Amino acid sequence: MTEKKKSIWRFGTREVVYAAIGAALYAVLGYATNMLQLPGAGNVAIRPAVVVPMFFGIAFGPIVGFITGFVGNVLSDLLSGWGFWFWWDLGNGLMGFIPGLIAAQIVDYRATKSMVMGVVFVVLAAIGGMGVASVSEMWVSGADINTVVFANFIPASMSNIINGVILLPILMVAYAAVSKRSGRT
Amino acid sequence: MDRIDPRARWIFSFAFLLSATMFWNPAFLLLFFLLAVTWYLLGRTRWKETRRGWLLVGFMLFTMIVINTIITGGGAGGVVPPGGHVLWPAGFTIPLVNWQIYFGLTVERLWFAICQLMRLGGVSLIFVLIPYTMDPRAYGATFRGLAMPDSVAYTMELSFRFIPTLGRDLAVTLDAQKARGYELEKFKGGIFQKIARIAPLLVPVTMNAIIASEDVANAMDLRCFGQAKRTWIYPLRYHWWDHALIAFSALMLLGSVVAVHIFNAGGFWVPDWFMRLFV
Repeated sequence: MTEKKKSIWRFGTREVVYAAIGAALYAVLGYATNMLQLPGAGNVAIRPAVVVPMFFGIAFGPIVGFITGFVGNVLSDLLSGWGFWFWWDLGNGLMGFIPGLIAAQIVDYRATKSMVMGVVFVVLAAIGGMGVASVSEMWVSGADINTVVFANFIPASMSNIINGVILLPILMVAYAAVSKRSGRT
Repeated sequence: MDRIDPRARWIFSFAFLLSATMFWNPAFLLLFFLLAVTWYLLGRTRWKETRRGWLLVGFMLFTMIVINTIITGGGAGGVVPPGGHVLWPAGFTIPLVNWQIYFGLTVERLWFAICQLMRLGGVSLIFVLIPYTMDPRAYGATFRGLAMPDSVAYTMELSFRFIPTLGRDLAVTLDAQKARGYELEKFKGGIFQKIARIAPLLVPVTMNAIIASEDVANAMDLRCFGQAKRTWIYPLRYHWWDHALIAFSALMLLGSVVAVHIFNAGGFWVPDWFMRLFV
């Protein structure tokens, strides 16, 4: 874990598997840990599993992060019977993609600097991803900007920020230990 | 429904989504809603199997339509202009407690709620059907057939296949942690403690999955994954009815674009008969 990572845009065999396993993990954990539907907030639940696409983005790059979020949300919704809601899937994809943009900068997952960068990008990802998904509700359901902001964007992004800020550093420390033990870089 | 090619079904579903969401005109929304009901009935699903999905969708529609549009009014603010004909201008009294309630619901907002129900209900009818009637084993071939790269289509297929394994790992980890006194269902503590309590479950499952993925990637490399165009174990073949459905989808989308952007027929309006019921 001392050398710089390669291109974050690579999508080879390893990335295919990481993306697939990340998506399945997000779906299973999302299905199992949908703890609470937020009252008055359409489509929004407290979902700790949202840290999975964020972490996979940081660890394996933006493409893996995007697929983990997008496909994982599709699968999670299909498992729950929700059907297919493209704009929320896209928002979840962005929540993996945006943290992935700093994948090349994070070398030591245990370092304070890496964790601060990770947390900052998690906040940006939650705002960007849920912003896109929420704004799309104006087009789909005809809601006005106030409703979209207060009923969709704020509950969804705040819930995802809290989940990400608490759980991302824990996963980063655990991944650092696993990488060190198994000799991964 | 089973005889329709999944690629044709996805094309139809997306064409429906794009077309229906161009309109707030109730006449067109009724047509789309009837089309969605017909499509849903073709799936021949039973209430017992789709009940859970409809409960979730019902909750979402309740939030969007009843809370956001009828009660607060914000859900209609993007389409229905301010003002309008108030349904109970003098308010109404709740019996027994004699509370006088002034509720600003307008006839226009009520009609908009019905339009929302037709539009969102139609989209829900189309997409709720997918998990119950589409074979997940064909997802890889389907998305490849919809012009996605092999690697992305294979990722979709692989993720489906990982779900049972990861579900089992999650159950085993949960049991092991519970044996050590871990309580996921404990309701004590604030939101931060509740989220942090997920870590003993989340961390081992995620790390085990990452470690296991190394073996899968090595096995795929040994079999020369990605060196040539893939073939799929469940090949898909179009029939005449699939071509007909794709043509219909294209016409529906084109017709909607023409109706909305050339004839300006997509706007919201309240029918006279509905207005006369209240005013």
